[in-house]
Amino acid sequence: MFLTKIGLQEKFIQINFIINMNKSITKEVQVIYSDPIQFNENKYSTEFIIEVQDLKKWFNGIKAVDGISLKVRKGEVFSLLGPNGAGKSTTIRMLTTVLKPTNGDARIKDYSLIKEKNKIKPLIGVCPQENVVFEALTAEDNVEFVGRMHGMDPADIKKRTKTLLEKMNIAGLKKPAKSFSGGMKRRLNLVMSLIHQPQILFLDEPSAGLDPQARRLVWDFIKDLKKTGMTIILTTHDMVEADVLSDHIAIMDFGKIIASGTLEELKRSSHNGNILEFSFSSREELIQAKNKLKQIDKVKKITEIENNKLIISFTGGVNTFKREILREVELFKTLHFREDSLEDIFLKLTGRGLRN
Amino acid sequence: MNTIDLKAWYIAKKNVKEKLKNYGTMFWTVAFPIMMLIVYKLAFTEDGTTMINGLTVFDVEFPGIVVYTIGISTVSSAVMFSMSKKDGTLEFIDAMPVSRGNVFLGAVISETIFMNLQLILLFGFGYGVLGAHFELAMMPIGYLIAMIYGVASIGLGLIIASFLNSPEGANGIAMLTHMSLMFVSGSFFPLDNAGVFFTPQYWVKQVYLQLTVVGDSFSDLLYSGTIITPTSEATFFPIWGGILMILAFTATFIILGVKIFQKKTTL
Repeated sequence: MFLTKIGLQEKFIQINFIINMNKSITKEVQVIYSDPIQFNENKYSTEFIIEVQDLKKWFNGIKAVDGISLKVRKGEVFSLLGPNGAGKSTTIRMLTTVLKPTNGDARIKDYSLIKEKNKIKPLIGVCPQENVVFEALTAEDNVEFVGRMHGMDPADIKKRTKTLLEKMNIAGLKKPAKSFSGGMKRRLNLVMSLIHQPQILFLDEPSAGLDPQARRLVWDFIKDLKKTGMTIILTTHDMVEADVLSDHIAIMDFGKIIASGTLEELKRSSHNGNILEFSFSSREELIQAKNKLKQIDKVKKITEIENNKLIISFTGGVNTFKREILREVELFKTLHFREDSLEDIFLKLTGRGLRN
Repeated sequence: MNTIDLKAWYIAKKNVKEKLKNYGTMFWTVAFPIMMLIVYKLAFTEDGTTMINGLTVFDVEFPGIVVYTIGISTVSSAVMFSMSKKDGTLEFIDAMPVSRGNVFLGAVISETIFMNLQLILLFGFGYGVLGAHFELAMMPIGYLIAMIYGVASIGLGLIIASFLNSPEGANGIAMLTHMSLMFVSGSFFPLDNAGVFFTPQYWVKQVYLQLTVVGDSFSDLLYSGTIITPTSEATFFPIWGGILMILAFTATFIILGVKIFQKKTTL
């Protein structure tokens, strides 16, 4: 069976970076799966509720998703992290049965995505990237409609709608959804995706466009859902969101999963060493510093990101920092010393920032 | 498309709620047919010169107004389906345990509800208030013919929506199609041209005219051609031939609409 063959065997990430003539970094990535069985073994059920093998989606020759394989445990929050255009939403659209894969298959709770999609639909809830609400209807009407489509009993719909809308602070509104703010529509969409108590919830950029308060509300709500044992697959390009919510993260870029594991695993595997982030007043100052830093042996990697910023990883700790780096780089606006973050891991893997 | 079940009814209910809250659409559905009737009544006054076989031009043109009004379903269904593509609701529903058959049937039911409303208004106001000539016994058949044509219009709208993602574009193209067909079919002003036979509007109007204007000899109409329009003295088709043509157009538009829409939106 294909499920046993999914690429979990290769535990080590092999990444070869090629620095081109313009000093920007391109990538050549192989592999990328760390064996999840080694981690969090007692925390979750060992049952894989989603198993994807070699899923591909091409649009007129463009490889939107280029042969991804992954496994998701029952009850975990699994994040697909990547920049816009990485293939996250296309992956979600395939897994939620609305987009037919070009190749490959997935098993969602024992059902084949290709052959048994009608059996998958009742099991899943979907909150798409764009707010999808019936604008002329009230919040209650919107939720009731989804409940009806899932064959729910009217009394159950009413009861559950009330509870969910109250949790999302949008209960009792008699206005049509078109008068709602973007954040309210997002929360309504979330309620619509949950009315039938799905076993698996797909959230495509769940907090996109929300203000910090609403974002926190949604995050807390997702955490509460996780406690109920619901499996949650979310896509995001927000590192903090992935960090706060995820048990398992798969980093996607150019249609491929380029790294996968828990946050700790990803940090451990990146081996970035110490991280320094310099910001400069001008690009000239940045180039000057960059050229000098290249001369230092202990500086392992230099990455230029937006707003005249350089991120460098180096070995040798404070001594290297004081004796070599600070001596060479004199003109800088700010300096930030920090631990490896998801963004650093992403930079290391792809050579570019998530928002680039 | 799999099974069709009660979910089609809930989709229809949702569509009706949405349409009722859209005042622009409601104007086209309710106020516009009445406005058309008044305009026609005022334009073709009974001054003696306009009398044809004892009927006024308004009597003869009344079926044309019915055809025009019901045909507006082409526009509303094109807008509804293209909107569902654009705003993501179609894809959202696709992720639920609902077949496309339910989605299509739901749309047909909801549009049919509004068509009924339009027909009641047209018949009530046209015959009741403005005094258009009709044969009461033929009314149910005329009503049914108009409803079947309404379903054909939904199919045509579906074909148009298959190719357009923008509701504004769908609205424009559907209106252009509807108006072109109305003129080509001779529904507004009678035409002696072979092109009329290729439009469903022509057949609806002819059958409807026979039922409402000369419906007192229904058994004759069933089996032989008869006087039907001011310019064409006779038709070679008996009434059942016309009904068959309407059914054929309806089946063709619906089948083509569903097939093309499925092909264009199944990703």
